[in-house]
Amino acid sequence: MGGDNNRRKRSESDGGGEEPPPERKMDVLPSMIKNKEKRSAVHAKLKQQKKLEKRKKAKARDAAEKRALELGEEPPAKKIPKTIENTREVDETVCKPDDEELFAGNDADEFSSILKRESNPKILITTCRFNSSRGPEFIKELLSVIPNATYYKRGTYDLKKIVEYANKKDFTSLIVVHTNRREPDALLIIGLPAGPTAHFKLSKLVLRKDIKNHGNPTSHEPELVLNNFTTRLGHRIGRLIQSLFPQEPNFRGRRVVTFHNQRDFIFFRHHRYIFEEKETKQIESKGKKTKDANGESGPKGKVIARLQECGPRFTLKLISLQHGTFDTKGGEYEWVHKPEMDTSRRRFFL
Amino acid sequence: MPRTTTLECPGCPPLRALTFDELGLIKVIEARGKQGRAEPKLVERWGDLDSSKSVLAASLDDRKSDPLLAVARRNGMIEVLNPLNGDLRFSVTNSSNNGVQPEDDPVAGLHLLAKKNLELASRSCTLLTCTAKGNASIRSFELTKPASDVTSTGSSRTWSVGAGGNILCSKVDGSENYFLFGGKRVEMNVWDLDSCAKIWTAKPPPKNTLGIFTPTWFTSATFLSKDDHRKFVAGTNSHEVRLYDISAQRRPVISFEFRETAIKSVAEDLDGYTIYVGNGSGDLASFDIRTGKLLGCFLGKCSGSIRSIARHPDYPVIASCGLDSYLRLWNVKTRQLLSAVYLKQPLSNVLFDSNFADEEAEVVNPPANRLLHGEHIAPERDEDETPPVKRKKSKEKKGSKTEAKEKTGNGEPCQDNEQHIVAERDEGETPPLKRKKSKEKKGSKKEAKAKSGNNEACDDGGKKLKSKKSSKRLKRADVDDLS
Repeated sequence: MGGDNNRRKRSESDGGGEEPPPERKMDVLPSMIKNKEKRSAVHAKLKQQKKLEKRKKAKARDAAEKRALELGEEPPAKKIPKTIENTREVDETVCKPDDEELFAGNDADEFSSILKRESNPKILITTCRFNSSRGPEFIKELLSVIPNATYYKRGTYDLKKIVEYANKKDFTSLIVVHTNRREPDALLIIGLPAGPTAHFKLSKLVLRKDIKNHGNPTSHEPELVLNNFTTRLGHRIGRLIQSLFPQEPNFRGRRVVTFHNQRDFIFFRHHRYIFEEKETKQIESKGKKTKDANGESGPKGKVIARLQECGPRFTLKLISLQHGTFDTKGGEYEWVHKPEMDTSRRRFFL
Repeated sequence: MPRTTTLECPGCPPLRALTFDELGLIKVIEARGKQGRAEPKLVERWGDLDSSKSVLAASLDDRKSDPLLAVARRNGMIEVLNPLNGDLRFSVTNSSNNGVQPEDDPVAGLHLLAKKNLELASRSCTLLTCTAKGNASIRSFELTKPASDVTSTGSSRTWSVGAGGNILCSKVDGSENYFLFGGKRVEMNVWDLDSCAKIWTAKPPPKNTLGIFTPTWFTSATFLSKDDHRKFVAGTNSHEVRLYDISAQRRPVISFEFRETAIKSVAEDLDGYTIYVGNGSGDLASFDIRTGKLLGCFLGKCSGSIRSIARHPDYPVIASCGLDSYLRLWNVKTRQLLSAVYLKQPLSNVLFDSNFADEEAEVVNPPANRLLHGEHIAPERDEDETPPVKRKKSKEKKGSKTEAKEKTGNGEPCQDNEQHIVAERDEGETPPLKRKKSKEKKGSKKEAKAKSGNNEACDDGGKKLKSKKSSKRLKRADVDDLS
């Protein structure tokens, strides 16, 4: 073994001098060397080489840009970094805008009466059996986010009974906040009377009082932003979320509720915004979370959108989507997360 | 390059499947060409997008000439179509619901009785329908050329099976003399179709040791074999699969549980003892019903409730479909996913058209195959047929990867290896082969080590580390080379 290693070492040190041939490098992975000292030495060398190469590349790139600038040419196109999202596995269920079946399916689904503004959403919010500390606070904030929502104490009722009751009282959705160890950790959204049941994991909950410089929301009906719900399943989840909110936002309120999907995590944010026309940029620094939204508009100055976060901040992850209302025993699932699906980091379902 | 782990689907033999979905569409999926590894594609779509015409049940009478397809829709219409081109032959309303809205009493079971037709004129069809409230009827229709005038011939019988519950599943046995149904609060019933009389009812299993009684709720049922009406399998909402034997007892002979969600579909194999079970969370498995042992699960990232399973009459292929709007085709022997077709809508039913034969495929698969249709196929017979298909598959799959290897002239061992990998779980013939192979492999490995000192062995190890599967294959080929 030792002799073998030595041979390898030699070849490595030979190559390391100037330009190590890439195929040689491949078959002598440092992790294959059994002697720790030698392994770490080889590893360090490799790392150093990589670092130098990277620096060289960056320098060349900068030089090219600079030269282009001097010559007044078009600078070389910036490379788009590879991210997990833009190298996502191809998914044939991604909704296409010209798909007539999709629209027919939308018209036939459970939310179409609300989304076509034939009926108004009416939400019932309840909790799991034991609820304390952050749970009630979270619900209080949820009530301020979702218009036309009422909180009912859970009591000792079965969820199926509550679904029945809510159906009788013409509620259109039921939200159950599940708390574990005094911390809300799951959200169940049930469409009524027939609609699907979505079970979300809830994490990273930050309440309003813990957000610095938070605003207090008004009672206007909010605008809704749904980002990146691309696949068929995502589309359905998007529609489920959409059916929780009134379809005619009150734009005067300048309230916006965002559900942003990224890598199957749905980020919830609640903001108040304002468009301000400013001559200079000085005021921007005063604004807490400023953003150039519209850019230049006219010679006067910039119209900037200033955002103020209000309301809770949390992250949802879909665990299952059940066909019909809540029924754990005999229910049919439209989608369940199974461990065998997690074979790639680049596969997303929403 | 992003590392993608999409499973390579080997494709499937030439076949034709019909799927029915919740928007009332009928979609035809065909796989044609290339020697048993064709990519199935959506070729036709019949019907217009209308959610009130959602398909509840479908039945196919696939005789050689003039096949018929009956479809029951949510609005109470029953349509009889030509499954070859989708032409509507005629449509009738489900007359048994007098004064009841069709939405309140949907059709739970629909069967085209094929054998009955033989005695009658060839241009007629007999429909057996059963609604959820328990109104069953047998009606015969004379097929006339213009679709508008349909004459109902005399033999129209309607009777109430009066269950009091909600019928969810029904089945007609191979001889078409017996009719079976069950549902929510309805025990399994077997009826004689000639006399319209109940001949047998199941008895619920006793309370369990804790004294808890599970309410009756059957969701799916199937007869175990085509020529035996006495044994049938039923799936329940309480995730139990039960085997009933009419001749033995009224309680289930065997009963076992499968996973934790309701069983949604059950299908039988041609061999008479294997059954396929699909449940509400998208798990599909095959069981040996004689012992109740799990043979294996069909794994393929299937995540929506499985509504329907169909077994192909000739090839060892099953199709499953459900709420995840994929039609999936599986190899029965290896339990490998052959192909998945995305069909955009939640599907309710899938059927195989057994008379479909591709022109090219006809050459490859001689008509001898066709003889098997309708017969009881012995398992050995079936297995005899599969290997050629598989070998071809493996050869082609391999082709691109180890072209160089095959050029050098040792195509033979390489191919064998491949087959070993592909058909690892194939019960029929592989075990002796496998054992031999493994022995050979071990022996040759040792040899290789002995021959080529430390260097070679170390290199081998390195390859193993680098990439598990492909390197293994390559290595094996290498070893074979050496030996």
